[in-house]
Amino acid sequence: MLDSFEILTTSGVVVWSRTYSAINPSIINNFIADTFIEEKGGFAAVADSKSAANNLPYKSDQHTLKWTLVKELGVIFVAVYRSLLHLSWVDKLVDNIKTIFVKLYGEQLLKPHTTLVECGAFDEYFDQQVQELDQTTAKGASSASAAPLEHNTVPTIIGDDPLDQPGLTYRGRALNGSNEPASPELAPATTPNGSRPATPSNNHLLVAKAGPVAKMSRRARKSKSVASAPVSSGDEAPSLKKGKKTAKKGRKWDADGYADEDDDVQLDYSANPNSDSEVEVRSAALEEVDSDTWGTRSKGKFVLNDLKDEVHEILASEAEKKTTTKSQPKSGLFGTGVNAISGLFHNIVGGKTLTKEDLDSAMKGMEEHLLKKNVAREAAVRLCEGIEKELLGVKTGNFESINARIQAAMEASLTKMLTPTSSLDLLREIDAITAPSVTSLRKARPYVMSIVGVNGVGKSTNLSKICFFLLQNKYKVLIAAGDTFRSGAVEQLAVHVRNLKELTAREGGHVELYQKGYGKDAATVAKDAVTHAAQEGFDVVLIDTAGRRHNDQRLMSSLEKFAKFAQPDKILMVGEALVGTDSVAQARNFNAAFGAVRTLDGFIISKCDTVGDMVGTLVSLVHATNVPVLFVGVGQHYSDLRNFSVKWAVEKLLSSN
Amino acid sequence: MTPSVPTIVIGIIIILGMPILLHIILSSSRTYTIPPTVLLVGPSNSGKTSLQTLFERGSSDTETHTSQVSQSVELNASTDSATKKSFRNHDATDGTYTKFLFVDTPGHGKLRNSAMAKLNSTEKLQAVVFMVDAAALGEPEILAPTAAYLYDVLLFVQKRATTSAKTKAAIPIMIAANKMDLFTALPSTLVKSNLEAELTRIRASKSKGLLDSGVGTDEIGSEEQDSWLGEYGSAKFTFSQLREFDVEVEVVPGNVTGDGPGAEKWWWWIAQRI
Repeated sequence: MLDSFEILTTSGVVVWSRTYSAINPSIINNFIADTFIEEKGGFAAVADSKSAANNLPYKSDQHTLKWTLVKELGVIFVAVYRSLLHLSWVDKLVDNIKTIFVKLYGEQLLKPHTTLVECGAFDEYFDQQVQELDQTTAKGASSASAAPLEHNTVPTIIGDDPLDQPGLTYRGRALNGSNEPASPELAPATTPNGSRPATPSNNHLLVAKAGPVAKMSRRARKSKSVASAPVSSGDEAPSLKKGKKTAKKGRKWDADGYADEDDDVQLDYSANPNSDSEVEVRSAALEEVDSDTWGTRSKGKFVLNDLKDEVHEILASEAEKKTTTKSQPKSGLFGTGVNAISGLFHNIVGGKTLTKEDLDSAMKGMEEHLLKKNVAREAAVRLCEGIEKELLGVKTGNFESINARIQAAMEASLTKMLTPTSSLDLLREIDAITAPSVTSLRKARPYVMSIVGVNGVGKSTNLSKICFFLLQNKYKVLIAAGDTFRSGAVEQLAVHVRNLKELTAREGGHVELYQKGYGKDAATVAKDAVTHAAQEGFDVVLIDTAGRRHNDQRLMSSLEKFAKFAQPDKILMVGEALVGTDSVAQARNFNAAFGAVRTLDGFIISKCDTVGDMVGTLVSLVHATNVPVLFVGVGQHYSDLRNFSVKWAVEKLLSSN
Repeated sequence: MTPSVPTIVIGIIIILGMPILLHIILSSSRTYTIPPTVLLVGPSNSGKTSLQTLFERGSSDTETHTSQVSQSVELNASTDSATKKSFRNHDATDGTYTKFLFVDTPGHGKLRNSAMAKLNSTEKLQAVVFMVDAAALGEPEILAPTAAYLYDVLLFVQKRATTSAKTKAAIPIMIAANKMDLFTALPSTLVKSNLEAELTRIRASKSKGLLDSGVGTDEIGSEEQDSWLGEYGSAKFTFSQLREFDVEVEVVPGNVTGDGPGAEKWWWWIAQRI
């Protein structure tokens, strides 16, 4: 069974929910953060008004979440169940609930300046859907006894539950609100239902009677789709059922129906047209009775009956709408002409609803622009697709052209992508490690930082820039020469250390080089350096590593050992701003090289002064790994290291020249 | 077919007058006044959306999850009615009421820039409520990002107060110490001193830190880059230092759910500011 089903808005308010067994709210919070905000799933996560089956299910440790999103209204539908259970009908449930909910309460969600959505009456719709879909699967497994069992469990829970429902606090108001969008046919049915005291026994009755009715209506629906005359048969179907039930004939049929179902279905429909007039008379009589005897028990049945029909009607009409919109996109020569002119007008004045055609050409231009800025094609395509989905069906503002709208969306999208999830205050992190607070029960130890990257991107240079920055903040720094491979690498670092000593000696900086010559195992050298630093009381250890080609498995495999031995607090990768499409592969391979538990912690983008506005590489790197950019190298001096500013990068990327 | 002067004149008047007329019509269609706005900011999981729904609905049993977009609600506050100190006064008839917008913003790190943009662009911004989770503020992992966010907000407000010439440019800030009903919650004085200590540290490390990549070589050392929160050169930051810029910062304890001081104090603070 489901653990929980929630309908929530993008602003975080739960509009409606049903909990069968309590789940930790952090499951859904994590789901939102991972799927929508951080977009960890990549492409698939950029959501669309698609069916739940197309959206990747989100898996937490014990639960699986099936979800779908209505972008225009900003509503998310989430079903949570135990991963152990394979509930095949959850997709369908989420989709159906989405359709019904949007149909009934869609307008309410569009109201500005309020978070209230009065949907107290939605409980019944939900119950009906759960039962129906649950039943289909139960029958599919050919266990006739399973269905009633489920019915017994459902109502007991319902009986306890309504008091906790957020919508029900406003029961009185919810009634008024819910009747408006619902069809008039339903109005008399829900009114008594809503005002009833929510006693379990009553509910039990409601649900227990549902079994046969549910089946019948499904058959009716089947016939409806076969006959493909939805309006007329839709009207007939409910009246037919009412007729059946008063005569008590329908019941018997159902009892037989279990034995030989297909034949019964056949019989069922062959009988219908013949007794058409008779049924009509009956149902008319019944409606009189129905309205007179609202207080009776039979009422319960009919409420459900109407509800089911209404639900099916909604689902059918939505499905129909979908097919019709697909089949007739254009309407004659005159129509297209007028559309084209009004489209041009709207493009200048604004207030145009964006369609795929409008966006296509403009998005091509944007993609081109990004490619010119040295963004890798993969990243550019992802950004553009995300924006296209976001803007599809959106109305432009007054005097706002499509391009301006896209520009704004791209700015927002880039900012979101490049902004790190948590703050990146390096000095604070170092302080937390080297001088831990008394309550944290950690021992003080040196902060270990290592730098990796492809050959010649500037690892040693950036390492010494960081060292200079740390020395200015009065840290004792040990530089470990982890490049035991390239000739001259150790000497290069020695020169840097000498320079840094001279530069910062007066200000009280203290820096040493730890080196073991060439040919040694880099991981062991790094490990020794860390132990040495701990003994000598250094605050920070900076470990240089040998440059390596990211697609050389032999060289990359040693990084995992390195990460295990040196246990760096931060692993930074230096990426050149000059590199093009290869940056994506570089970032991915380095990110994966440290084993399953360790990834990169940040990027340093070097040589930014050589590319001007074409800083697309940093977008490619972040796109590939979701790892933030920490520093930007902007010159040749020790002081030419900068904190990465998102605003600066976005401005450069969108500037047009 | 000689062009007559009146025709030309009328033609020119029509051609030039049309856009102006259009503009007047379009702009007059937006005559409604913008209500004063109170912005609700703070880190994720501090209870912003919960507070918003509490104020709107009067009951705190609405579940909320991580927000992705900001959401505004319209509320009425009064300073002279009998039930002025309670937020459950939607239906009260006595006293005068001011309508205001209460805007909730997402607190997730990646979406923080949208909150800052709101702070920047909202017209008639009357007050900012910065929500913190007092129960979690004892842990350095929570305190550090909270203070970093607060630092950004305070710095923005301070800059706005110093640069803009308008009166009432200074926005009062309330630090709402939420979750006072929990056992681990710090008292508001401790919340205040913890935040001040952390802000002092951030201020010091920012002054020693690296420049932003957006800073050009000619701008180094210029006035604009000089962003020092509070009294310049002071060793310790306190919220009272911001009084110098007419920015009033207050720490008010409360809670959205459970037993405790409740949210009435916050409501009263907001009601007084609008």
